[in-house]
Amino acid sequence: MEQHNRFWRIALLGLPLGLFGLFVVWPLFSSFYYSFTDWNGFDTNYSFVGFDNFAKIATDRLFLQAAINTTIWMAAAIILPTTLGLMLALLLDSRVAGARVFKSIFYLPICLSAVIVGQIWTWIYQPDWGLLNTIISQITGEKFKYAWLAKPDTALWSVIVAWSWQQTGLAMVIYLAGLTAIPGDLLEVCEIEGASPWQRFRRVVLPLLAPSTVVVVALSVINSLKGFDILYIMTGGGPFNSSDTLAMHMYNESFKKYLMGYGSAISVVLFLIALAIIGLYFRQLRKVDRIYG
Amino acid sequence: MAEPLPVTRFNPWPTTIFTILSALAVLFLLPTLGVLLSSIKTTREISMGELWSLPASLFLGNFAEVLGNPAVHRYFLNTLLVTLPATAVSITLGALAGYVFAKLPFRGSNALFLGIVAGMFFPPQVILVPLFRLFNGLGLIDTLWPVIIVHSALGLPICVLMMRNFFATVPNALREAAIMEGANEWQVLTRVVLPLSLPALAVLATLQFTWIWNDFLWPLIFTQSDNKRTIMIGIVNLKGQYSVAWGVQGALSLVASLPTLLVFLFFQRFFIKGMTMGAVKG
Amino acid sequence: MAQLQLANLRKSFGQVQVIKGLDLAISDGEFVVFVGPSGCGKSTTLRMIAGLEDATSGTILLDGGDLTRARPADRSIAMVFQSYALFPHMTVADNIGFGLQLKGTDRATITARVAEVAGTLHLAPLLARYPRELSGGQRQRVAIGRAIIRNPKVFLFDEPLSNLDAALRVQMRLEIARLHQRLRATMVYVTHDQVEAMTLANRIVVFNDGRIEQVGTPMDLYERPANRFVAGFIGAPSMNFLPVRTNGSLIDWPGIAPLALPAGKAQVVELGIRPEHLVAVEEADADIAGDIEIIERLGAETYAYVRVAGQPADLTLRLPGETGHRPGSRIGLKLDWSRAHWFDADGRVL
Repeated sequence: MEQHNRFWRIALLGLPLGLFGLFVVWPLFSSFYYSFTDWNGFDTNYSFVGFDNFAKIATDRLFLQAAINTTIWMAAAIILPTTLGLMLALLLDSRVAGARVFKSIFYLPICLSAVIVGQIWTWIYQPDWGLLNTIISQITGEKFKYAWLAKPDTALWSVIVAWSWQQTGLAMVIYLAGLTAIPGDLLEVCEIEGASPWQRFRRVVLPLLAPSTVVVVALSVINSLKGFDILYIMTGGGPFNSSDTLAMHMYNESFKKYLMGYGSAISVVLFLIALAIIGLYFRQLRKVDRIYG
Repeated sequence: MAEPLPVTRFNPWPTTIFTILSALAVLFLLPTLGVLLSSIKTTREISMGELWSLPASLFLGNFAEVLGNPAVHRYFLNTLLVTLPATAVSITLGALAGYVFAKLPFRGSNALFLGIVAGMFFPPQVILVPLFRLFNGLGLIDTLWPVIIVHSALGLPICVLMMRNFFATVPNALREAAIMEGANEWQVLTRVVLPLSLPALAVLATLQFTWIWNDFLWPLIFTQSDNKRTIMIGIVNLKGQYSVAWGVQGALSLVASLPTLLVFLFFQRFFIKGMTMGAVKG
Repeated sequence: MAQLQLANLRKSFGQVQVIKGLDLAISDGEFVVFVGPSGCGKSTTLRMIAGLEDATSGTILLDGGDLTRARPADRSIAMVFQSYALFPHMTVADNIGFGLQLKGTDRATITARVAEVAGTLHLAPLLARYPRELSGGQRQRVAIGRAIIRNPKVFLFDEPLSNLDAALRVQMRLEIARLHQRLRATMVYVTHDQVEAMTLANRIVVFNDGRIEQVGTPMDLYERPANRFVAGFIGAPSMNFLPVRTNGSLIDWPGIAPLALPAGKAQVVELGIRPEHLVAVEEADADIAGDIEIIERLGAETYAYVRVAGQPADLTLRLPGETGHRPGSRIGLKLDWSRAHWFDADGRVL
């Protein structure tokens, strides 16, 4: 039996592991290798430059800008879709009429491509006839013109709002799943013990949603670390790198300036950040597991 | 918050909640609605600031323009040529590996499984440069092959995760009963375990189809000439051609999203299940 | 012919040895029941016979042929699983014919064979149904049908009745007994329920901690258990055990007049006596006396639990269904000494 099992393990795992190893694991390790070179993407010759690329990161003003923007982006991506998604989930969980339709409406943006989302929101922010300026003009009564995406002050935040619009639905469904998993008798106990709705939420529901929160926060962080498509479409990282993120910066250095060695070094940093976050995530998950199984 | 009310009194909460949700729903729908409106208006109407009002008449010229553009046909075909095989391959291979992890575990298989699943969390930029060099060396840059291959490989973490978790719910006794009847592992997988896993397959098919269809990064890196681009890149390319023809751009966005919107409408249940399953277990 | 022989069979999972050397010969047409507490190795042994688990060492012979390393399907052995393991997406007909389908048997033959098997098991009207649409008893018959269609030399049953409710369990037990009478096939049956073992078996094999404690007919094990474990495991309610001190040639125990020690029982530390071998008598004639704590009425018979001073556990006593004894009342007990079991410090019978 064990002999047959061994044969089938190899036969069944061969292709998937081969594909994954060749096109995911191996490139991951090569990234480390290229980060010590000055490869430009075309020449077959390149030389080793030691830690030069990493030294360059330390002094790269644009990298610092991108790192700051990524942090802002992450923080906003944690706070905005998470709270909004939780709110929507709580409202929808109250067996309101038409809950299914509402759920679909809030969820719909998730199945749109980041390219489309970027396009839609570019129009909303359009200075001349964009929805945002149109509404402001209607309210104030005078013609309002502001190029939200073209001004360094507002470019990043404008993209963050668009991103939150898309991500809220995801947080919502995860919280909804968490809410339905809360046993009804616990809420009945609250009723019998005379807890107010706020006490019930704060002391029972929210703590019981901890597993969902861990997942939502982790997803937000991970997704924001990947944040690229929507920025590429809406601002391209501009103006003056004011909306650059690490993922965007890595792309620009590698495929715009053809500094693939330097780009690899940035990607190594990205990898290490992701690794730290995943480590943190699994630790939280284990903590949550101890309580919630 | 309100004191517990006597049953006979009017309870304002459902109405309040309904109103709040309706307002939020309108706010959420506005952006999408804008695209819809723009697509049925003439460029003149839009540039006169009439984008956000209800149209006086239904103008289908934008759709005619989009659907008649041979470049759009090409983009669509390319996207299908990438999405269908990559979806099929990632799910098939995910099922093979998931079967081993669920039914034929071995020393270290759990660590291997977690290693593959962790791949879901890393920014794809980490492997961009080496993959570019690899496919460049293979002479495959500016073909659809690298896009298909990379999507198949990067789809594995979620597929392996979901298939393993689903297979784990199929009782071991079913596999053993089939083996007693003379089935080998391949027959157990194809004749017993997979037919019982149709829900998981549906979930994965909707997820993978949507993700790959919507992807922007990989075709951007691996393709260059216009007749190798996928639809999401195509939209960006056509921006130049239709620079002020907002209505055409709107129609194009709608057409490009149509497959995923249809999948969403018909498989919404699977879609949401997949998102939460993948998320919660990941 | 189907003679099954296990020789020095061992199984380890990693460092842990779970089967510690089994020797057992099962003759043709015999119904053998493996019984023991959970974790005793009975199921693992069955799975090794089936081929679902590799033996670490030792051999399994069927009619003299070594099948220790043979594939499960090549062993002419069929198995009925605890949960029946019916394929939920196949009809009853497909479930029964699955093995033949895998072999590539032609459709007409499969249909004919399935119909034949279904006829003998009264499943003919159910062939188009799915397992979900069957009752527990019908599911078991389908599982048996899937086993007998292959004409196996040996049938294995892995606790097939444990998922059924009490009434159905009795009915299904009878059905399995009937099946054995009709097929006259060699059957090995695993259960943790000693009533099932007693009622079904030609021979019972009592497992404990990866070893065989005793092999014998049901009445053999009941009347002549080889050791304290078997004595305690077989029979419900279980045997009473009384710690015993010896004083020279006398038995000396608290609250009881010293008794002469029978020959050859000098090593005794414990005395075993079944509930039906304790007789209620006047206190003056009694070997032991105590207070009735609880009375359990089962209708045809009644069990009394008697607290005896100096004894660590209550003694169980079988009384007729209609009895005048009441909880709290005093009772005298006389032992049927010819039915007593004497155990030494290692639990062996003297």
